[in-house]
Amino acid sequence: MMVSFDYKSAVTTLHELRKSGERKSDLVVTLGENLIHQGYAGKLGDEVWAVYEQIFIAALDLGNDQLAIKCLENLDKRFPESPRVKILKGMKLEAEDKLDAALALYEDILKDDDANIAAIKRRIAVFKAKGQDQQAIEALTRYLDAFYSDSESWLELSALYLNFHLYQQAGFCLEELILLQPQNHFYHLKYAEILYTSDNITMSLKEFCRVVELCEDNVRALCGIKLCTSRLLNLPISAITSSSSSTNSPFDMKTISDLNALAVERLSTIYSKKRRGGSSANEITDWLNNLS
Amino acid sequence: MVVMVLVGVFRDQVTVLIGGGTSKKPGLKAIRESKALTRGVTLRNYGNHIPNNSFSVRKNFLSAAYKKGDYLKNPALANQTVNPMTDPAGMEMMMEGMKKNFAMIIPQTVIMGWINFFFSGFVLIKLPFPLTLRFKSMLQRGVETPDMDVTWVSSLSWYFLNLFGLRSIFTLLLGEDNAADGMRDMAAMSQMSASPTGQPQDFHKLFLAESENLELTPHNWELDDIENRLLIRFGKRNPTINDDNDTIEMEDIPSDLSDVKGKSKRKGINKKK
Repeated sequence: MMVSFDYKSAVTTLHELRKSGERKSDLVVTLGENLIHQGYAGKLGDEVWAVYEQIFIAALDLGNDQLAIKCLENLDKRFPESPRVKILKGMKLEAEDKLDAALALYEDILKDDDANIAAIKRRIAVFKAKGQDQQAIEALTRYLDAFYSDSESWLELSALYLNFHLYQQAGFCLEELILLQPQNHFYHLKYAEILYTSDNITMSLKEFCRVVELCEDNVRALCGIKLCTSRLLNLPISAITSSSSSTNSPFDMKTISDLNALAVERLSTIYSKKRRGGSSANEITDWLNNLS
Repeated sequence: MVVMVLVGVFRDQVTVLIGGGTSKKPGLKAIRESKALTRGVTLRNYGNHIPNNSFSVRKNFLSAAYKKGDYLKNPALANQTVNPMTDPAGMEMMMEGMKKNFAMIIPQTVIMGWINFFFSGFVLIKLPFPLTLRFKSMLQRGVETPDMDVTWVSSLSWYFLNLFGLRSIFTLLLGEDNAADGMRDMAAMSQMSASPTGQPQDFHKLFLAESENLELTPHNWELDDIENRLLIRFGKRNPTINDDNDTIEMEDIPSDLSDVKGKSKRKGINKKK
């Protein structure tokens, strides 16, 4: 495929990947190796440093140490004191499993500039790599307290909380995410699942309904509706009224059974449409029959 | 013109030198202070997407925090009005502006004086195209002859033309966002005189206003009626059935208000243990 290496398209591809933040490390490394080994690096002008950084991270991902070292040397020569390069060095240390050294490096950077986002995030990553999830949570909450609008970090925090089965806290994070991006059905879906896990079935059912409203025929949400409604239908009546008194609009039995039927209907049409061999369609019908 | 280009390049260097990359980053606390406000705004705008309970917990937490000044850089100074002269950060910002302005004004004055002194009355170039008489005052500043052809340009006018016209050349030489161009500074100056920017905002006042806004925000959960909406959408239910929802909402508004105090105990979640 790379018989005649196209310099221009390589550069634009790298540029686009940098802008979109995608992490296609293998692609970046192949392109980068060609760029560097065929002596195109000098042609790039000032862009070369960003390209080096990108190739360096990709090379670390793939364990291509030679390439990584080469990029890092070049960057280090050009920007000897830059905190950004220091962070790259820290990542190298992390890749070599020298976590404590990396941590020390990041904390050194943070001493000078306590608002260095990259350093804060790397530090949290080191905590995670060391298995010190609690410290990671603490650092992440402090980070989010300042950089409130970073939705990926909220997601990360909720994942960390879920590791500890702290569903209420994880739910809190998801609520923040919903506030930040109310139209993103994925956050609603995750929130619904967390609510379901923490046994708040009525709320969970509402959130699952919201997902289906935002993203039609979302299979995960339809399954969720099915699960919730089946559980509610199987509960004794008194239990429903007592549990739903905490939420604002109690469900009546008819709504629940209607939703149940709706979910079954949508799921069976989706799976019969897909023609993905008979097995998955059969499985889902079996599952549906078992639940009700 | 060559001199002006050189001076422009020189100015760029000097600004870099004085500025010394002084795009000084604000500390974590300052960022936190400036971002805290968005939190309240998001809650007000999109609060309807989260359940009642979660909304009131957040509302109470945020408005209390705003009032107490938890998000301020320096909570102790909450009630003092900030004087830009005493605030070290504000002082620094002013110095920054001063430095830049000096770097602009000094060479400008020097060159203009130099041109005025040595070249006053000189005619430097001839424009290759004819112009009407109106341009005389623009192109022949400093040469008060009534009957010279308009296409001749005096030195002083040429200086001004260069001052305004060299931007693209500097961009070519020094890259985007250089400091050599006098025009940009001038634009900045006129802006500054129009509105006294650079004065640090009084965040405490902003926070107080935001907390008031928050307390006034009503909450209607977007999902209150979701199951009916969904069923109607898939044609499982007639749109007329959901009359009873109005009564439900009427009920829960007073209960929400009375519950506010009780729920505020739960604001501990906000700190995530």
